[in-house]
Amino acid sequence: MDFGRLAERQKDILRELSNIGVGHAATALSQMVGQPVMLEVPDVAVIDLAEVPDFIGGPEQLVAGVVFRLEGEASGHLLLILSEPSADRLLQLLFADDRHAIDSDMGSSALMELGNIIASSYLSVLGGMLKLDLRPSVPFMAHDMAGAVVDQVLGELGRHGDLALVLETRFTSSDRQRDVRGHLFLLPDPGTLDVLLRAAGGDA
Amino acid sequence: MSRRQRVGIAEIRIARAPAGLVGYGLGSCLAISLYDPELRLGGFAHALLPRDESGQAGERPGKYVSSAVEALLAALVEAGAAPQRLQAKLAGGATMFPGLSSRQSVGERNVQMARQELSRLGIPLVAEDVGGSHGRTCELLLNDGKLLVRLSRGRDRIRII
Repeated sequence: MDFGRLAERQKDILRELSNIGVGHAATALSQMVGQPVMLEVPDVAVIDLAEVPDFIGGPEQLVAGVVFRLEGEASGHLLLILSEPSADRLLQLLFADDRHAIDSDMGSSALMELGNIIASSYLSVLGGMLKLDLRPSVPFMAHDMAGAVVDQVLGELGRHGDLALVLETRFTSSDRQRDVRGHLFLLPDPGTLDVLLRAAGGDA
Repeated sequence: MSRRQRVGIAEIRIARAPAGLVGYGLGSCLAISLYDPELRLGGFAHALLPRDESGQAGERPGKYVSSAVEALLAALVEAGAAPQRLQAKLAGGATMFPGLSSRQSVGERNVQMARQELSRLGIPLVAEDVGGSHGRTCELLLNDGKLLVRLSRGRDRIRII
């Protein structure tokens, strides 16, 4: 379907599904980092492709981005975007020291594994509720400008149209010194949105 | 009004000295710049894809490399540029995630399409900073036609081509 014709009711369905999925992902994340992870209510937006870099914090912001292709009965992408300081703090929490930089082998492996756990738990909940087989691909990671990190995904979306449906959830985890903020984005391809909405009982 | 004007994804802009035209955080996207040194007039396109496969281009020539080069040329000629004086520079076209897409890298295909279009239109490609797996911010300086390319980090993170 055309993203531009997505009704409010359908956005509500997607928001609710995403909320439950991210809830499970947050539980998995808090077990990994050993402290509570808070969620904000997911945002569902239909925006022009060209606005996506601003939506995720500005095209030049340095981020650690972990990208997954959706596999199974869906196509699209899932992105975990962490600002550079948040990625550093997450690594400090995971390793209980500050010797592992984002670009080190250990650092990037840990961030990809963390992304993998979040993506898998998010998609397994979403897939379970919708009775669809949804899986993440292997993770791909880049530590670069946010615009560059999303370009390739926008290119895939841009082949079908000019709009992107963005499901975004912000999560935070903080103690006194270590504030971690992350964004999880689901960018379904237009054909997959139909599949999601039909499975959710809405009209495609 | 700021001298530096932003060119977002799928946009095309032209400007005269002393302005600058800048595209932020390009990954697989391609910055295409054309410059007329005599008039110090130039244009910048921030293209997302090599060409239109859906058959619905038209309204957004800046989205595709194939239509962006011609649209830039037309806009510059209308503003008074002489086609035979134009010089082209390219930057971007990276492959941020090799293996994410099963097809050939969109960054590489963007670069190939631009070279092909420039050669078809007879516009000399005088410099390029393309490929790799890193993002770039690119600014065309209309004072002298230089293209300033900035990476997020690394020893040679500022390049002037």
